Amino acid sequence: MAKIIVITSGKGGVGKTTTSASFAVGLASRGYKTAVIDFDIGLRNLDLIMGCERRVVYDFVNVIRNEANLNQALIRDKHIRDLFILPASQTRDKDALTLEGVSTVLEELSKTFDYIVCDSPAGIERGAQLAMYFADSAIVVTNPEVSSVRDSDRMLGMLSSKTKRAEEGRDPLTEHLLLTRYSPKRVARGDMLSLSDVNEILAIPLLGVIPESQAVLRASNSGDPVILDKESDAGQAYLDAVARFLGENVPHRFIEEKGNWLKRLLRFKEKEIS
Amino acid sequence: MITSSARVEKACLQFKASFLPITVLQITCYDWEGIEQQLLDTVHNAPPFFINLPVIIDLDKIKTLGTLNFIKLKEILLTNKMTLIGIRGGSDEQHLAAAMVGLPILIAGKSSAPEAVQQPKQKEDSAVRLTKLVTTPIRSGMQVYAKESDLIVTAAVSQGAELLADGNIHIYGPLRGRVLAGVQGNLQSRIFCRALDAELVSIAGYYLTKEDMLQSPTGDGMRQIYLENEQIRIEIL
Ligand SMILES: Nc1ncnc2c1ncn2[C@@H]1O[C@H](COP(=O)(O)OP(=O)(O)O)[C@@H](O)[C@H]1O
Ligand SMILES: [Mg+2]
Repeated sequence: MAKIIVITSGKGGVGKTTTSASFAVGLASRGYKTAVIDFDIGLRNLDLIMGCERRVVYDFVNVIRNEANLNQALIRDKHIRDLFILPASQTRDKDALTLEGVSTVLEELSKTFDYIVCDSPAGIERGAQLAMYFADSAIVVTNPEVSSVRDSDRMLGMLSSKTKRAEEGRDPLTEHLLLTRYSPKRVARGDMLSLSDVNEILAIPLLGVIPESQAVLRASNSGDPVILDKESDAGQAYLDAVARFLGENVPHRFIEEKGNWLKRLLRFKEKEIS
Repeated sequence: MITSSARVEKACLQFKASFLPITVLQITCYDWEGIEQQLLDTVHNAPPFFINLPVIIDLDKIKTLGTLNFIKLKEILLTNKMTLIGIRGGSDEQHLAAAMVGLPILIAGKSSAPEAVQQPKQKEDSAVRLTKLVTTPIRSGMQVYAKESDLIVTAAVSQGAELLADGNIHIYGPLRGRVLAGVQGNLQSRIFCRALDAELVSIAGYYLTKEDMLQSPTGDGMRQIYLENEQIRIEIL
């Protein structure tokens, strides 16, 4: 039985797709057979981030409508053998996903995969609810700003009541907070909420802090998820987060302002000179 | 809620029970100038809360006055950013006049909350009342209602969440949402909480907004919020 992970947030543009791609790569490169599904019908971003957009022939909706079988639609990742992508459809029909359809696809994938990563669309409507409905774990992607935290809070409320686990009265899904686009510099200036501000409001276990990073843009342009850029801060932060998700004890990084001591030293020198 | 797709496609409506705190304006004298001036003052002092506020007009105190000009009343309220959604109390004649301009009569003839409780109906005092207990966080957009009982919450109440109870409400986690005790009009009900960062507290329909609570006592300890002479008091226990 595969473990189903939903990457969700409520708010758009916070880094769900970036996280889905990196998490899927991270899990698969640890040897877990992983599928990553784009639930954002109409937008279709995941295949771009994964660099497989030219190989999309059939998609999630084709499978649900029995226009293709699952194996025809799954795209094998260009780097990792054990990673497969199920792209979203370009259709404008937002109701193309059905509960039965999603259920059937997840059930079939569950037979052979270890992890299924569901990249949720923004909002709290049907698409987002379908992405979370079957999940065993949720990674709530949040930016350090008031509206994003508020939307994540709302999402956590829905996760506790509107999933299959909740409806069947089973153990609740596990919740993880991933704070992304974090800039210690802007936190220090007071332009952003700090990690402790966010933690205080959401009060769920912290999976990691992903810094705001140029490497993410570079990664999307090249179609190689940022976790593959092992030199970059964001890449390392995603590697850490995947390790923590798998139960490893990894200290948190990228929370403090970078090169702070250097700046202080320089200021000290300036004072000495003047 | 997700149901099977076949059903989802047919359903155009979903009936949802909801308990919205509604502001009741009780008209005590039928004097347009006085009413307008007082509205202007109030709205000026509490801007964010009053924008598009739905209100009900209570006519109990002026029910002997005959028919009223409801169209004018509606207009005055609208210019003060309040939307009149109905009336309560008043005479049959007034009800007819309201109905003519499309205003629903909401709780016909029922007196306002304060008087309702003065007629004692204390049957529950002798019996053991059940208390509703919530131990998981109440997140933005969620609402918990303890009907005919007290409510105890041991977890956090987020901004945008709402707690309602017919009785008292105790909150032991951080409180950032809205708390309404005694929603059926029990003036004796109280709210107990730790650090107070609520968006709104209300007892039997009387309320304080966040701005109103800026001067409330600071410091450690449990807060007790109760009603005294139609005023909400906040004290540290
Ligand atoms: N850690 C980060 N640093 C810098 N930019 C980021 C980071 N994470 C995401 N982004 C950028 O933010 C935008 C939205 O990211 P995306 O993953 O598509 O969000 P979502 O799927 O939540 O809408 C993209 O342009 C992406 O490159
Ligand atoms: Mg996305």
